[in-house]
Amino acid sequence: MTQSYQNPEKEPLKYRIKAFFAKPANILLVVFLVTLIILSLIPLITMLSNMFTVHIGTEKKLYRMDVGSFTLKHFQRLFAGDDWSRVNFWTPLLNSFIVACGSGVLGIIVGGTVAWFITRSDLKCKSFISSVFVFPYMMPAWTLALFWTNMFQNSKVGGGNVGMVESVFGICMPEWFVYGIFPMIIVIGLHYSPFAYLLIGGILKNMDATLEESATILKASRWTIIKRITVPIVIPAILSTFLLIFSSGFSSYTVPVFLGSAVKMFTLSTKMRALIQAGYQGQGYIIAFVSIAMGCFILGINQWFTGKRKSFTTVTGKSGQVSLVKLRGANWPISIIMIIFTVFFAIVPLVSFALESVIKQPGNYRFSNMTLDFWIGTEGSTYETGMISGILLNPTMWKALGRQVLLALVVAMIVGTSGMLIGYACVQRRGTKLSQMVESLAFFPYLMPAMSFGTIYLAVATSQSFKFLYGTFGLLVLVASVKFLPFASRSGVNSMLQIAPEIEESAIIFGTPWVKRMTRILFPIQKSSILSGYLLPVMSVMREVALFTLLVPYARYLLTTMLFSFNETGYAQYGSAVTLLIIVVIIIINNLTNKLTGASFDKGIGG
Amino acid sequence: MPEIILENVTKRFDKFVAVDDLNIKIEDRGFVTLLGPSGCGKTTTLRMIAGLETPTTGRILIDGQPVYDSSKGINLPPNKRDIGFLFQNYALWPHMTVFENISFGLEMLKWDKTRIRKRVDELLALLRIEQFEKRYPAELSGGQQQRVAIARTLAPSPKVLFMDEPLSNLDAKLRQEMRAELKRLHSDTNSTFVYVTHDQLEAMTLSTRVCLMENGLLQQYDPPLTVYNRPANKFVASFVGNPTMNFIPAKKLSTDGKGLKLSIFDETVHFTRKEAVESCPDNVIIGVRPEFMPIKEKGPIKGKIYSTLPTGMETTVQVMCDGTMLTAVVFGSVDFPIDSAVELDLTGDCLALFDAETGKALAYGSVIFQ
Repeated sequence: MTQSYQNPEKEPLKYRIKAFFAKPANILLVVFLVTLIILSLIPLITMLSNMFTVHIGTEKKLYRMDVGSFTLKHFQRLFAGDDWSRVNFWTPLLNSFIVACGSGVLGIIVGGTVAWFITRSDLKCKSFISSVFVFPYMMPAWTLALFWTNMFQNSKVGGGNVGMVESVFGICMPEWFVYGIFPMIIVIGLHYSPFAYLLIGGILKNMDATLEESATILKASRWTIIKRITVPIVIPAILSTFLLIFSSGFSSYTVPVFLGSAVKMFTLSTKMRALIQAGYQGQGYIIAFVSIAMGCFILGINQWFTGKRKSFTTVTGKSGQVSLVKLRGANWPISIIMIIFTVFFAIVPLVSFALESVIKQPGNYRFSNMTLDFWIGTEGSTYETGMISGILLNPTMWKALGRQVLLALVVAMIVGTSGMLIGYACVQRRGTKLSQMVESLAFFPYLMPAMSFGTIYLAVATSQSFKFLYGTFGLLVLVASVKFLPFASRSGVNSMLQIAPEIEESAIIFGTPWVKRMTRILFPIQKSSILSGYLLPVMSVMREVALFTLLVPYARYLLTTMLFSFNETGYAQYGSAVTLLIIVVIIIINNLTNKLTGASFDKGIGG
Repeated sequence: MPEIILENVTKRFDKFVAVDDLNIKIEDRGFVTLLGPSGCGKTTTLRMIAGLETPTTGRILIDGQPVYDSSKGINLPPNKRDIGFLFQNYALWPHMTVFENISFGLEMLKWDKTRIRKRVDELLALLRIEQFEKRYPAELSGGQQQRVAIARTLAPSPKVLFMDEPLSNLDAKLRQEMRAELKRLHSDTNSTFVYVTHDQLEAMTLSTRVCLMENGLLQQYDPPLTVYNRPANKFVASFVGNPTMNFIPAKKLSTDGKGLKLSIFDETVHFTRKEAVESCPDNVIIGVRPEFMPIKEKGPIKGKIYSTLPTGMETTVQVMCDGTMLTAVVFGSVDFPIDSAVELDLTGDCLALFDAETGKALAYGSVIFQ
């Protein structure tokens, strides 16, 4: 006798689990869920608990309490509103806020204007302007800050070093111009303006030209069209760009270091590090938490806003026939201004770094004051005592570079592979709770400013149970892998979404095993986007400072942290040389990416 | 009197010639369709008249006033040409309500609020979209969006109305409805309509004149029934009419005055022409509309049923005759078994005679089998 068929809900759990894990996508999802919970939630919880405990050293002495005991004193001190709290929390918070707002506005004005000229007018030299304009975005954010100080620092402000403008023109810029909020806004705003340019330009380029043409026919003037039609339609994109620049500006660490330290001006990020290094861990962690909360809040606004009806789909119809606005007589003047502007912020910095790295006495640009010692000097001839030889002959430098490259490669392997597998698994099981959880957990680190992320890992590495991690290369790998996962998993999901399920299913019917399906069918189809998923983390690690600065065993461990130690100790020539070196490495990687995958930073909206 | 004249209008995109030496005259209150397969230059022509595209050379006059003249360097922008333009995808502004979309053009004319309100209400009523006044375009169906777009275009009462395939995004039933409404609108508004379409049926049913183009060249510019009955060439003949015209290869045997002796399917026929033609090549093609090819008990052309396609009201019958596929239309529903033998005749006096080599129409007339 055969048994009758049973209701599946009464099937033994054993069988259901077995059926569940028969799908490779489910195994992947469970593995990633567990790993991501460990790697992002545990650090977060550790950090939260650290906000309420007394730490060894300064805090123990100050509070006269046992190490590890519960306290609310960190909060009381930080939020009290007295002078101490104002200096250590409220002023840096206000500074961060002003810098973030200002750079968001500036980035959008600059990026949006360039985007409009490139996509909507008959400007000259478009492709040149377009490709040079996006160049600063590829460079680390601090390069512009360093360039700014190289140019404008002078004998009357800050450290008293003489900059290029003073030495050539004899002009001393006032302090507010050289250091502080104003240059921070300029530098961060300009650094992210290519990002605004790419986003807004993309929309302007894809926006249906008939939307504007129909207004022209109804006798609206050019200006009315921009005001009433074009701008309102791109407003959602502008707002979301603003929020992204805002959150980047809010959590920026490197720029305030260069432009604030000399005049003791702090933002939340720099204050966070200062507090932790001065032994006020509790308050440092609270600031990290405030930054993370801010990040979540910003992303929340963004999602709420883009989720509303207010975001418009504008890509339809015969949009190829854009009629460009004729600039007539203004064409050449505007083109020339644009070219000068982009060259000044994209190419001149490189020249200035090269120059700064060969002069003995800062501020003196005579040929007699030049030396290659900072690059290739040997023990006997080195001008300064910071290092035993010029950076190209210096084993410390090569070791730091080697570590950074190794770190970049290891992280890229981990992040690229995970991103791809997460993409595959999430798309396979799309709509299930498990897939949603993994997708949002993988995106979670994006909300955390790099500095705060480094801070929470510091909290873990200094805790009793994870002490073995402290100061190791493994810790850096771990923190960078989690931090850079969001982009990789996003692009993994996007690339896998483009593959119709039938493509894998037809292979299943032939009995192709899972590994073969992945390696022979799915990956080759999305080869270029998967390759860029591997190469982008390389770029990110090569430029990263804030994430590593608290976690490296010593400052000269990595090239980027080494650069910052040069800056702090005043070896400007070495700093410029190392910056130039990092930019060269980044350009090489970008070109490699471009050659291999066709994807690159400057492949935006073109000319 | 808004009359539109195009003289020697040419548009080149680099080396590609989109419109080649176009000469047409669009009469006041006409309803002219620019018809042709995609990429034939019809949209470019419309956009040039509207001023959205600049011709390479030529002259365009609207209402006697040159709006474009390459020899004098005149090029009026679209907002100075007093026109309306209805786009294929409607181009409704997604961030404005229906009311704001319609009133925009009136605001640009600096109308006062009460006047705008009155005019918009009129249009909302005319197009039966009153209840959508406060909605955004994304909340409307395709047909409703289309009505809003028409209302927006009509609001400033343009003398000339340009339409670029306005019905192509609608479903078949809605398209039928809107066609009738457009025709009514044309007579109600008293303005000149220029309409781009690739749908020959739309051109036939709507227009007072059809301008048929191919590869940037004007093929024929005539009232729709003339285009249908007296196509200027084989391209026009095959493009207009559904099911398409039959082309029967024929050989000239002899000429006598107004008549011709031809051989088709090994039969000899006498072709009577309406008007004399000077010369006739040896290889010709007879073009016969399906409705002039009745299926009979006894007919001069013998063939086998290839397939039968009944639609209910009429039936399209495809017949294979000596290697040539012919299409006939029978009124009502008939079902012929596949491969059964049938016989056909050629009737009517609108058979066209084409030059087999150039495709040019040589004559129109009737045939008698001998």
